[in-house]
Amino acid sequence: MILESHLLSMAVYASFVALVLALVRRDGVKARLRYGLLLFAVMTVGALAFGWFMFLFIKK
Amino acid sequence: MKLKGVVALVLGWAVPGLGHAVQKKYLRAALFFVSIFAMTGIGLAMGGKVYPMYLEPPRTAFQVVLNLFKKENPLTILAFFADLGNGLFYALSRLFAWGGGQLERATFEFGTAYIAGAGLLNFLVAIDAYDIGAGKKK
Repeated sequence: MILESHLLSMAVYASFVALVLALVRRDGVKARLRYGLLLFAVMTVGALAFGWFMFLFIKK
Repeated sequence: MKLKGVVALVLGWAVPGLGHAVQKKYLRAALFFVSIFAMTGIGLAMGGKVYPMYLEPPRTAFQVVLNLFKKENPLTILAFFADLGNGLFYALSRLFAWGGGQLERATFEFGTAYIAGAGLLNFLVAIDAYDIGAGKKK
């Protein structure tokens, strides 16, 4: 089965979204690269942070 | 609305990147096509679902809307509009019954999100193609 790891699935998803949004929303290679990397970082770090936040509410 | 922009919008919606390709933005077109097509393909391979619109023989316009909301979770209506962004792929998925959704697989939710995400991104790409065609953007 493809991409069984949720972490890998999330990272691949974030990379595609960051690439497309950077191409649409910024002009110039440098600005696109910076914006794309920022988006990727925000999405992956944000998802991980939110995942750990939800861990606080786990039922035991 | 400029005709060139509208043509680019429609082509870009039908096939990811085609709206840019007809305006000689080949690199961007290729990147859009690969990214969005890959997302849709991965989504399908993961067992994701393509949400249809449920249309029963309507008697009034109100019943059309009511039928849409009766069948499943109302949130699936939003998923339908997101999936619709995939353009030609959406039509093909209806025709060949792709994207039935494999709920038993652990990757089902992510696959569905991949397909919906690809559709939403393609809306943005098509609008970007319109902006270029209309001369609002290079």
